[in-house]
Parts: sequence; structure tokens; C-alpha cells
Amino acid sequence: MMIKEIFIVILLVAGCFFFLAGTLGLLRFPDLFSRLHALTNADNLGLGFIAAGIALYIASPWATVKIFFIWILTLLSSATSSYLIARFQREQEKSKNGEEE
Amino acid sequence: MDILIDSLLAILTIYLAFRCMLAPKLSKAVFVFFAFGLMLALAWIRLGAVDVAIAEAAIASGFMGVLMLDSLRDFSLIFSKNQERLEETASKIPIKKDSYHWTTALALGLGLILFLLISIQAIWEVPQGGGLTAIAEANLPMSGVEHPVTAVLLNYRAYDTWLEIGVILMGLLAIFAAGGLKQYRKPGLAPAQDPLLRKTILIFTPVLFLFGAFLLYFGKMGPGGAFQAAVLWGAIGILLHLGGWTVFTVIPRRMRQILVTIGLGFFMILGFTQMATGGAFFEYPPAYAGFLILVVETLAAISIAAALTAIFAFLTK
Amino acid sequence: MKIGTYEIYSLTSAILFAIGLGGVFLAKHFLRKIIATIIMGAGVFLCFVSFAKRDALTFADPIPHALVITGIVVAVTAAAFALSLARRIHKLTGEDTFGNEK
Repeated sequence: MMIKEIFIVILLVAGCFFFLAGTLGLLRFPDLFSRLHALTNADNLGLGFIAAGIALYIASPWATVKIFFIWILTLLSSATSSYLIARFQREQEKSKNGEEE
Repeated sequence: MDILIDSLLAILTIYLAFRCMLAPKLSKAVFVFFAFGLMLALAWIRLGAVDVAIAEAAIASGFMGVLMLDSLRDFSLIFSKNQERLEETASKIPIKKDSYHWTTALALGLGLILFLLISIQAIWEVPQGGGLTAIAEANLPMSGVEHPVTAVLLNYRAYDTWLEIGVILMGLLAIFAAGGLKQYRKPGLAPAQDPLLRKTILIFTPVLFLFGAFLLYFGKMGPGGAFQAAVLWGAIGILLHLGGWTVFTVIPRRMRQILVTIGLGFFMILGFTQMATGGAFFEYPPAYAGFLILVVETLAAISIAAALTAIFAFLTK
Repeated sequence: MKIGTYEIYSLTSAILFAIGLGGVFLAKHFLRKIIATIIMGAGVFLCFVSFAKRDALTFADPIPHALVITGIVVAVTAAAFALSLARRIHKLTGEDTFGNEK
């Protein structure tokens, strides 16, 4: 029992750490691409850790499946939206450079 | 520990509301508004109102936020005299600062603080122990559902819910009227150019549909129900529109009208049938109550989803 | 006085309403005014649900919950209508504030 609780705490703390790192990156990185990189990478990993921790805490197979799906869907939507933001930014930069030439 | 979490959440909510009002850039205010809605949803969960949390996150934060974002794009365009779009200058125009003479600001600030104190006083003087929890609980076995909030929405106070669907329909009509003569975006199925966006939308469509149907059915015994399901189904329509499949404009006009009004219409027919068979308006016979509520909820959800998609499709031409 | 969930959130609701009210008076841009009305509404809803929490027996009072769900949907519909009006005004006149508030 004790070991399980320690595992849960470790997973949750690791998740919070990655969220903190991702937020720090979002606030401190200089340009859009590196910000997106920090946000999506670190936050998805953090969410994964927290989801694993909660699944272990609830310890019910159906809840685990649901939490897993939440994680997958969040991964999918955050990956797509950050890709779209990055693509928009790139096209903007391209058209700006085209005008200058 | 509880107090710590609650106070943190409360302070964060208040801070975000302040930022919404005081952020120098309008776009920032809109993004903070999203965050504000999500914090509020957490506050609902802390207060034990999970139904409200789902509604808040989906409708007030999600749907409203999407409309706000789209309006933001509209407001950052400059129009010339002949209504043509000249150029997108979102970053170039300085947003007008909200500045006032200091006496006005001081007077308004003092007035607001006075108002705040009076309202806190009023809230804390509301007598305790009222409420209709006991009555709601006692009648639960007769209502046809097991979840008290759904029982209130679809059985005890079905009248309110019926009129609420009417309000949504009125809102839709008012938006059509205020939108001028402009029609929807040209009908046509032109999927998004981007393969990744297209694929993601196609993955999310069945997932959202399934989850909406789950919430609709689960509303019988737990948090969920017609509104939450309707927003998820409306989100399908909005996503498809964003991806270029303008579903709502492609289906025939008559079909659109039926979709939008079927919830209100069925609700009304049901109410009058109950009156005709000797009951009161919306007095369900206990034996069929569960089944009737599920049918009404499904049709209402379809109508609300169609109305939300229509509002989105019409506003974001 | 005992400080619990109800006290914290009822206080928050009053503050949110005051912020929204201030925003309706002081903000100039249409969008910001609309956001301010939504914040005002959120204050009222929070007040309702915190009463439900305070008067809870075996479960929290479901009537305020149902009222608030109804209220959220109506508020959003009204705000969407306000948005469409604001966009129409902007389209026709190019203004994004009321004329006398410039």
C-alpha cells in the first residue's frame, strides 16, 4: 500500500514539474516556435504523468481506459493546434520576406 | 487544505476577471476569457455542481470563446468606404486606451466598492436552511430519472427548459435579423487544404458524437444531459465548418428549419398531450417518464446543436 | 466566523459581479463590454451555486444547479446576439465603441 502511494506522489510531482517547465518555457522563450515546442512537449508529458498517477490512484480498469483516452485526445488536439499555429506563423513570415525582396 | 485550494481558485478567478477588463490588448482579453471560463468550471466542481461545470466549460468558455475569437478577427480589419477589406492590420493599429479623467475614475471606483460591500452584506444575510432539496429528493422515484438535476430540468421544471429552448431559437432569429442580408458562407464542400487538420477533424467527429450520446444517456443517472450533449454535437458542426465542410449550409433549407425547431415543437406537443389526457402541463405519467424524458432530451439536444452550429455558421461568414 | 467553501465563493461572486459592473461602465470596446456582462453573469451564478452548497442535505440543492445551467445557455445566446449586433455596427460604421465614449 505504502509503495503504491509513493509511486502516485512521484508521478504527480513529476507531472507538475513538467507543467511548470512548460509554462516557464512559454513565458520566457524568445520566439513563437520555441515557445510552442516547450508548451506542447512539456505539457503533454506532464499530463501523461498526472494521468498515470490518477489512474493508479483510482485503480479501476474502466477509469484507466477513460483517462487514457483523455490523454490521447489531448495529445492529438494540442499537436494539431500547435502545428496549425506554427504553419500560420511560417506563412506570415514567408509572405513578409517575399514583400521585402 | 480545502480552504487553501478554494482560496487559490477564487483569487485566480478574480485575477483573470481583472485581466479580462484591464489587459491592454483586446486579443489578450479574449484569451484570458478562455482561461477565466476554465477556472470557473473548476470552481463549479469544487462546489459540487458537475453538470454546471460541463456546461460552463463547453458553452460559456468554449462556444462563446470561439465566437469571440472570430469577432476579434473581424474587429482587427479595417474597412474602406465601399465595405471592401483593405488590409489586415491587427498589430499595426494601437487599440484605443480606456482612459478617463481621474475624478470620474475615483467616483466610479468608490461607487463600485460601496456596491461591493452592500452586495456582500446582502449575500451573507440570506437565511440558511431554505431550499427545496428535501422535496426534490422525495419526488425523485416518481420523476423517471435518478439524477436530481436532470429531474429538475426535464420533469419538475420542464416548463423552464422548454422556454429556454425557445430563447435559443429567438436568439438565433435575432442574430439572423441583426446580420443583415448576408447569407451563410457560400454552400459547398471544400475540405481544408491541410491534410493534418482534415484528418484530425475526421478523427474527432465520431469521438465527439459518441461522447455526446454518452452524456445524453448518462444524464439519467449522473452529471450530463441534453445541454452538455448538445454542445458536444454542436462542436462537431463547428469543427466541420472550420475544416471547410459547411455541413449546415449544404442541407436543404426546410431540413434546417425542422432541425432547429424540432426540440421546441416536440416539447410543446408533449406538454399539450399531457394536458389533453388529464394531467397538468408537463406532468409525465410516472410509468413512461424515463422514456419520454430521454426522447425529449434527444430532440432538444439535436435542436440546440443545430442552433449553435447555425449561430456559428452565420456569424463567421 | 467560520471560513469554508461557501464563504469563499460567495465573496468571490460579489467581487466578480462588481468587476463585471465596472467593466460594463468603464470598458469602451464592444467586445470588452460583452465579456464584462458575461463576468457579471458568472458572479450571479456563483452566488446561486454557493447557496446550494451551503444548504446541501444528502446532495446539493438541485434547483439552483438547474437554474444556473439554464442561465448559462441563455446568457451565452444573449451574448452571441450582442456580438452579432456589435459586428454589424462595426461593419456599417467602422466604429468599435459607442460614439459618445470616444
